[in-house]
Amino acid sequence: MAAERNYYTIDPEGKLQCVKCGVKLIKGKAKFMYLDNGFPVELPVCPVCGFVYVPEELALGKVLSVEKALEDK
Amino acid sequence: MAQIQERGSTHVYKVNKISKEEMENMVTRCVYEEAPFCNAACPLKLDTRAMLKAAAAGDFKKALQLYEKAATFPLIVSAGCEAPCEQKCRLCECGEGLAIREVEAAVARFGQAQRLGGIFRTKKKKTVAVLGSGLFALFLAGELEKKAYPITVFCEQPDLENFLRCGTEFLDQEAFGLELKRLKGKDISFVFSCSITADFLAEKRVAFDVLCISEAVFARLLPSAAFVPELQYCEEEKLVTGSSAGVMDAAFQAKKAALTVDRLAQNLDPRNMRGQEDPFESRLYTDLSAAKELARIPAQTGGYTKEEAVKEAGRCIQCHCDECMKSCAYLKHYKKYPGLLSREIFNNTQIIMGDHQLNKPMNACTLCGQCTAVCPNGFDMAHVCATARRNMVSTDKMPLAPHEFALMDMIFSNGDAFLARPQPGVEKCKYVFFPGCQAVAVAPETVKAAYLDLCERLEGGVALMLGCCGAICDWAGRYEMQAGTREFLLQEFSKLGDPVIIAGCPTCKKELAESVGGEIIGIWDVLEEIGLPEDAHGLDRPAALHDACGARGDAPTQEAIRDLARKLGVTLVETEYSGDRAPCCGYGGLTAYANPEVAAEITQKALERSDAPFLSYCMACRDRFARQGRESRHILELVYGTDAGAPPDISEKRYNRLNLKKELLSELWHEETAEMKLDYTLEYTDEARQLMDGRMILTDDVIAVLNYFRETGEAILDDETGLMIARKRVGNATFWVKFTQPEPDHYLVHRAYSHRMNVVRRDG
Ligand SMILES: [Zn+2]
Repeated sequence: MAAERNYYTIDPEGKLQCVKCGVKLIKGKAKFMYLDNGFPVELPVCPVCGFVYVPEELALGKVLSVEKALEDK
Repeated sequence: MAQIQERGSTHVYKVNKISKEEMENMVTRCVYEEAPFCNAACPLKLDTRAMLKAAAAGDFKKALQLYEKAATFPLIVSAGCEAPCEQKCRLCECGEGLAIREVEAAVARFGQAQRLGGIFRTKKKKTVAVLGSGLFALFLAGELEKKAYPITVFCEQPDLENFLRCGTEFLDQEAFGLELKRLKGKDISFVFSCSITADFLAEKRVAFDVLCISEAVFARLLPSAAFVPELQYCEEEKLVTGSSAGVMDAAFQAKKAALTVDRLAQNLDPRNMRGQEDPFESRLYTDLSAAKELARIPAQTGGYTKEEAVKEAGRCIQCHCDECMKSCAYLKHYKKYPGLLSREIFNNTQIIMGDHQLNKPMNACTLCGQCTAVCPNGFDMAHVCATARRNMVSTDKMPLAPHEFALMDMIFSNGDAFLARPQPGVEKCKYVFFPGCQAVAVAPETVKAAYLDLCERLEGGVALMLGCCGAICDWAGRYEMQAGTREFLLQEFSKLGDPVIIAGCPTCKKELAESVGGEIIGIWDVLEEIGLPEDAHGLDRPAALHDACGARGDAPTQEAIRDLARKLGVTLVETEYSGDRAPCCGYGGLTAYANPEVAAEITQKALERSDAPFLSYCMACRDRFARQGRESRHILELVYGTDAGAPPDISEKRYNRLNLKKELLSELWHEETAEMKLDYTLEYTDEARQLMDGRMILTDDVIAVLNYFRETGEAILDDETGLMIARKRVGNATFWVKFTQPEPDHYLVHRAYSHRMNVVRRDG
C-alpha cells in the first residue's frame, strides 16, 4: 500500500496543551477544505476533544498561498 | 450576522459578457501598437523610428541592418527616395521635420553592409528567373535573394557593372562602387549578353517555376498584354512584371512583385494574404511637448558627417503613445498597454477550467476613468475591468476573498450602521443629506456639523440618511447585491418622501444618480447657494487640490469646489493631473482591498504631484493620503472648522459609524440605543492593533473568538510564549487570537490572524 500523502506536517513536540482537556497536543490527522478542494495534513491536535491548531506561520504562509491559487482556478 | 455565499461549484451563465466585437472595437482604440507616421508613409515599410534610434545612438551598423530590411540597395534608394516620410514627420508641426533621407544616406554610407546569405543559407526549392535590367529588375532580384529563392538574372548587358549602371546613372562613383560590391555579395546567378526574344522567353518559361521580366522587356515582347498593378502580375501570360517611374516606385513595385512570386511559388492565389502594402494614415498619437530641437542640421553637398547624422537622428522624438502609462500607476505596474491588457482580461473571462491569471490585474484597476480622460481615443479600461468582474461573478469564477471585507463593510453600513430619519419636527422633508459611508467612518464630527448646518440654514427640512450608495458592490461586480442595494435605497428614500438628495461625496452622487435617480445635488452646490458658515476658514499655506474620480466629467462640481476653496481663502496649487485628468487616490474600484500593493503605488503616484498638503472632496481620498503620512484635509473639514485628525483603523471606522448613529439618534431624535456592553475587559497591545488593521481583522472578530472561548473553554496554551490561543469560524474565515489573561474576565490581545480554508479533523 502506498504511503498516504500529507501536504503539510507539524509536530507540536509537547510544547502545546489543550486548555480545556489539560493534555498535550499530539501530531494528528486533519484536513483543509476550500472551494471544493480538500488537502490531508498533519497538525497539532488534542487527542481528547479534537481541537485542531493552525499556527500563525502556517496560516499566513502555505495556507494563504494555496488559498490564492485555488481562488484563481 | 449577514454572510456572503462563497462560490460553490462550477456553473457557467452566459451573461454580462463583453462581446468579441465590443472587445475588438475597444482594443483598436488603443494606438500604442500603431505604426509611427514616418513608417506608415513609407512604401518600403522602413522601421524609420528604430533606424533613427540606432543612428542617434551612433550604432550605424544596426541602423543599416534595419535600413537594408526595407531597401536592398540602400545607397540607390536613399539617393533616389522622395522621402514621403519627411512630410509626415510630426516635428513639421512645431519646427522643421526630421531630415530622414539625409540620415538614411549617411547610414547607407557609414554602416557596414551586413552579409546576408552566405553558404549556410538553405535555398527554397522553386526556381525564379528575372529577364531584363533596370531598377525594377535589380530590386526584384534583391528582394527574391532575401527570400532565399534560387534566382537567375538574364540580361542583355555584357557584365555586372553595366547591369547595375542601368537606371542608377545618378549615383556618384563612391556609391556606385559600394553598391556593386553589395550586388556581388548577393547570391544571384547572372547570365550576361542575352538576346531576349519571344523564343528566349518561351524557353525560360519551361525552365523556371516563376518568371519575372523587366518593364522594358514586357513592353517590347508583349505590347498588348496588361498586368494587375496591385499584384505586379500579368495573369494571362503568368508573368511577374512592373512599370515603374523612379527609384521609390521601382523599389515598391519590386516588394509587391516579390510577394506575388512568393505566393505563386507556393501555388497560392497572389491576391490573398498580402497584408498592408500601401502607405497609410497612422492613427498614432504623439505628445509633441517633448519636442525641443526644432531646426534641422543643415547637410553639406556630400551629405552628413557621422556626427551630423547622429545629431539629426537625435532630434527624433520617437513617436509613441503612452499617455495612459505615464499617468496611471496601475497600468505602469502591469507594464501592459490597455489594448493588450484588455485582450488578456477578456480572454481570462473565457476560461472555464484552469488558472485565471488575470484575476489580479482585473481587480487591481481603480475603475477611476483617468485613462479614458487622458487617452486621445478615450480607451475605457474601467469599462473593460468592471464588465469582466461582473462576468466572472456571473460565471461563479470570481473569488470572494479580494472583495469580501469591503462587501461586508457595505452590509454593515446599510445594516447595523444604517440610519434614515426626517429632520426632527418636519414631517416631509424637502431634502435628504447623504454624506456617504466613508465620510461617516473617517470624519463623523464633520458629518454631524454639516448636517446640523443644513438643518439650520436650509428651508423645507433636511432628512438624514447614513448608509452606502452601493458603489462597493458595483465596483466588486456583484450585480445582484447591487440590485438589492438599489431596491433598499429606493424604499428608504421613498419612506422619506423622495426628497432631493444632497450627496456629501462625488462618488455617491454619481452612483445614486445611476441607481435611484431623482434630483441629486452635492453639498458643495448647497454651500455655493447659501454661502459658507460663519466660522469657516481655509489653510494658512497653499494646498494641492485633488479632484475625486467620482467628479470626473462633472465640471460644475469641480468648479464649485474650486470656488468654495477660493471663498475659504485657500491658495490652490493646480497640478499636471487635475480636473478630469486626476488620478485615483487608490481607494476606487476596491483596489485598496483587492491589491494593497498596487493601491499603495497609486496613492504614491497621486501624492507625487505636489509637496503641498492635499485638499480633497471625497473622504476616501482624504483618508488614503493621510494614511500615507501626507497632511490631508477634506474641504468640509475647512468649511466646518473640524479636524478628523489621524486616520482611523478599520475597526475605528466601524465604531465611528455606529457611534455617530447612536449619538444623533439620542441627541436629535431622543431615541436611545441599547448599549452592547461586554461583560469582560478587552485590551489590545499596539502590535495587535497594527496587525489587525493590516490583516483586515475587526475587533468584532476578536470579540467573537473570545466570546466563543468563554462559552466553550476551547483554547491552546503555548508553553514557549505563555500565550493562550483561541479560534472561531466567522463567515467565510477562521479567526485566531493569541492573548493573555492578567486576571479573570480581563484579556489582553497580543496577536490575531485568520485563514479562509476550513480545517477539520480527519479519521484514518
Ligand atoms: Zn482538548
